[in-house]
Amino acid sequence: MRKQRKTTRAVCAAMFVVALTSLGFAGSAQAKLIEPYIKFQYCPFKNTEVKRCIVSITNSGEVKLGKKSVPIEKPVTLQGAYGKPNETTKISKFFEPTNGITLSKAAQNVPGGLAGIVPEASSPPLVKALIKFFFENKLTGLTSTLELAKPASEIQISEDNLAREEGVALKLPVKVHLENPFLGKSCYVGSSSSPINWELTTGKTSPKAPNTSIEGQTGTISFVEEGLILHINENKLVDNNWSAPSASGCGGILGFLVNPIINSQLGTTTAGNNTAILNNTIDETTPFALKLIEEENP
Amino acid sequence: MRQKATSIFLGGVLAVLLVTAVFASTAGAAPAWRFNGEELKSPETVLGGAEKSGLTIPGMTTVCENFLYNITISNKSGTGEGSLTELPLYNCTTNTKCKVEAIEVLSLPYPANLTTISSANYIVIKGIKVKILYGNPLCVLNETWVEVTGTAGGSIDNATESATFSPTTFKATGTSLKAIGNSVEWNGFFPTEAFQWHREQALSVS
Repeated sequence: MRKQRKTTRAVCAAMFVVALTSLGFAGSAQAKLIEPYIKFQYCPFKNTEVKRCIVSITNSGEVKLGKKSVPIEKPVTLQGAYGKPNETTKISKFFEPTNGITLSKAAQNVPGGLAGIVPEASSPPLVKALIKFFFENKLTGLTSTLELAKPASEIQISEDNLAREEGVALKLPVKVHLENPFLGKSCYVGSSSSPINWELTTGKTSPKAPNTSIEGQTGTISFVEEGLILHINENKLVDNNWSAPSASGCGGILGFLVNPIINSQLGTTTAGNNTAILNNTIDETTPFALKLIEEENP
Repeated sequence: MRQKATSIFLGGVLAVLLVTAVFASTAGAAPAWRFNGEELKSPETVLGGAEKSGLTIPGMTTVCENFLYNITISNKSGTGEGSLTELPLYNCTTNTKCKVEAIEVLSLPYPANLTTISSANYIVIKGIKVKILYGNPLCVLNETWVEVTGTAGGSIDNATESATFSPTTFKATGTSLKAIGNSVEWNGFFPTEAFQWHREQALSVS
């Protein structure tokens, strides 16, 4: 009996030591970066190919797909890192952040909700009945979420073009996730195999008709932390010459009925009919700066 | 009725002419280079070095210890002109962790002209293109060439025989320098001195 008590005590003490050690390790493994560097905590800065760490937050803007416009009201974060630019193309390879979330998912409200994209009046009877059910249950809110359609390594960035306000500054393969209980969980415009390729610029666009040229801007730059961080305010990235594939996966088993309705509501989505305007705040730093901050704050 | 309309019209035309004449005399009038008060007849070389000169992007100022220049000046039909032929920049530093690894002055010569705005004389230098390579692995611009381009307007002070470049003179002359898509500030005080035919003569603009 006494022996059993002794054993229990020993086990408890050992567990306590393990718990304490774990806490200690957890404490030292995190909390190394301090403000204003915490925003770069997921930068893969230990990768020797990384030249810059980047965090870009899209605070506002608009995505117009065919006839439907969705304002960006909830912030979307693009984060990761990029390498040394190719000497000829000036394009850099992009690296995924350590938490794997390159592009944060922020569901934006689609103006008009479900009624704006699936009109009850012109729908087949079966769809009409379902819409009626959803409307009666007030399940009419519709959201649109921008998602990365390819691995982060497929993103291309050109700091040279971003600064010069000409050419493509950011190439982003995306897909748009339309979400509503009626549309199901797999309603997308664009996919991994057929992404929407945004070629965003801070300069002027040359779109196909009916779109006309729009203009982005580098934004207001400033250096903070003695040149260790570059902060860009009021950055504007635009592209209005991209095309989008048809919507697919909408309506679950009724997809054969719902997909065509959504596509007819979106209208023509070929190049010249769509627009992406992203208003961003960008922060950049170097891997060396982050290593230094870590060393200084063990 | 017709007479009244005609007189209103004539009055309007007169007002427009007067306003135009006033603007012509305050903005864009053309002064000439002078030595000891005499108008310069043939081209002269003016050399100088900035006593203080810095290029500022918010949060970072780049200063060059040796900010020299060589400008050939002349008068054409009574109007002062110039051609900036050399601009050697050395020993440049910043007030941040960024180091200046290299600096290149491109597309020389830069044409210049004199102008009078609101009774003050200015020199406007066009087509400026300077590339700066920043270094230091800690610096966010490490291994990045930053191109500074644009037009610079500086005020000329006859009393001190100098040209001053500042945000105020840029605003007055409607000029700007840009880098990384942003306007950059250039502050500089440039004493001037003739190097060829008019050495030790007082250089003025009027």
